[in-house]
Amino acid sequence: MNAIEIRNLSKSFRGMYAVDHLNMTVPQGAIYGFIGENGSGKSTTEKLICGHLVPNGGEIKLFGRDYRDAGVRVRVGALIENAGCFPGSSVYQNLMMQCINLGIENVDEEIQRVLRIVRMEDNANLKFKSCSLGMKQRIGIAIALLGDPALLILDEPINGLDTDGMRIMREILVDITKNYGCTVVISSHLLGELEKIATHYGIIRQGKMIMEMSAEEMDSRVQMFVSLRTADMQRAWLLLKKKYNDVRTEDGYIRIYDVDDVEEVVSYLMENGHIVSEIKKNKIGLEEYYIELMSKQGGKR
Amino acid sequence: MTKEMKFESPSFAQRIKSMLGVDFYRLFHTPLFYIFLAIAAIIPVMVSGMTTMTDPNGQTIELYTNAWQIISAEDSLYVIRGIADYANMNMVFIFGGIMVSIFIGHDYKSGYVKQLFTTHAKKQDYMISKSLTCAFAMACMCIMYLLGGIAGGLFAGYDFSVNVGSLVIAILGKIIMSLGWASLFTFLNIIFRRYFGISVASSFFFGTGILIIGVAAIIESLNLPTYVLNLFLYGSSVNACLTSNVGTLIVCTLVSASWALIYNLVGTHILNKSDVY
Repeated sequence: MNAIEIRNLSKSFRGMYAVDHLNMTVPQGAIYGFIGENGSGKSTTEKLICGHLVPNGGEIKLFGRDYRDAGVRVRVGALIENAGCFPGSSVYQNLMMQCINLGIENVDEEIQRVLRIVRMEDNANLKFKSCSLGMKQRIGIAIALLGDPALLILDEPINGLDTDGMRIMREILVDITKNYGCTVVISSHLLGELEKIATHYGIIRQGKMIMEMSAEEMDSRVQMFVSLRTADMQRAWLLLKKKYNDVRTEDGYIRIYDVDDVEEVVSYLMENGHIVSEIKKNKIGLEEYYIELMSKQGGKR
Repeated sequence: MTKEMKFESPSFAQRIKSMLGVDFYRLFHTPLFYIFLAIAAIIPVMVSGMTTMTDPNGQTIELYTNAWQIISAEDSLYVIRGIADYANMNMVFIFGGIMVSIFIGHDYKSGYVKQLFTTHAKKQDYMISKSLTCAFAMACMCIMYLLGGIAGGLFAGYDFSVNVGSLVIAILGKIIMSLGWASLFTFLNIIFRRYFGISVASSFFFGTGILIIGVAAIIESLNLPTYVLNLFLYGSSVNACLTSNVGTLIVCTLVSASWALIYNLVGTHILNKSDVY
């Protein structure tokens, strides 16, 4: 069963489509990286799934049920734009309110459980307004995690976090999908971070889904390349261009695309009097893949 | 392997219970509620305190002849002729409107409303819960106003003789009217949810009952029956006075419940058709 199935979803604001006949499929148990430029319709789609916005048309199904079904919506957790907490109340009180809202019985235990997951068990009595941005994001996640959610919708949860905060967030997300069977939809501009955890991707542009794929499919689609440095980069580049189709210089390296035989490249250069000072085999990352896809689509980043 | 998911739809009672739980928790944990309770208690004390003051000629302001007039007028006075006709428990509905605007405004300002609407697919839950919670808060304000009125009456040395039955009906009537008023204010705050200032101003405007006072003046000048004004929240609130009878209480209950139902239905419809911001 798919956690989310969206067909022909549309939402317009003053006649302009923010989401334009969008189709989206998120398998159950996936960490779905939702990627797109600013204003591409990511947040609007997420708000539509959560029932914050009223669609102009289309269908949203969560775990095979209509998204307005009270039974399924009570199992959705969301962090969209902000944690939705009262600044003058403590972390504990904010969590308490959501526990009551969800009808959770063992409130103290549940609050301790989610605070442990987000590594904030010692901060329960802090006022929300005194928390740092990273802590607020984690509290937002903690609130979304209350009551055994089946689906988490997270809009830019890692933005503004420091390196350690990002690592903690990554670990939390992997943990909840593995141990709690939760499905996570996560949008972020930090594609490098997303790449480390996502099992599936959806790329949205101008309100339309232009590509959906699993991480395995993504791996098979991305180009392999060999990057190297020599003493005379200019001459080496001219030489390699004679033999290989796609040779570029990027970031001080020569990159030869669609080649994975390092030995062959080294031999060829040595035979022609070049000494290779550095060489490695690689594949383009999600970010580069995304940039290339966007440029093919005629977009700019 | 994916975990098998079970989804049980909560019953209407379960949904309302949880939403009410949140709203009451918030109400009791916000200083706003206690500030407005204090205001409700202080106002009648201040008004009756005014009546003990003397002007430069040594004249005392005579607003009331009886302590219970601080709570309610002697008769159903739809048209205001003096401050004493107005300065009674009906003022709670003005402060109550402002309190409801702030209470609901915080939901939107903090973004908490998004948490509520993510997990509560039925928007009627929000309308019903807010109306009931705010009605409770306004009922508490009525009680505080009553206590303040008694204190003010004692302070000013007023006569306390009264028809106890009518007094109880007047107080109960106003408390019952809190439900209709709270539903109106919740409805106004749903309409103007993006504009906090307008929410407060509209709640204040309707809370004063100025529209009904204006209509009452026209009706009176045309010698038409004024009892039709009892169909409105302000009219019924004024009708709960020190000469009330059981009929008044029935009218208050019907009017309050009917307007609460209307505002809840229309408010839910608006919420269903509009985006949450």
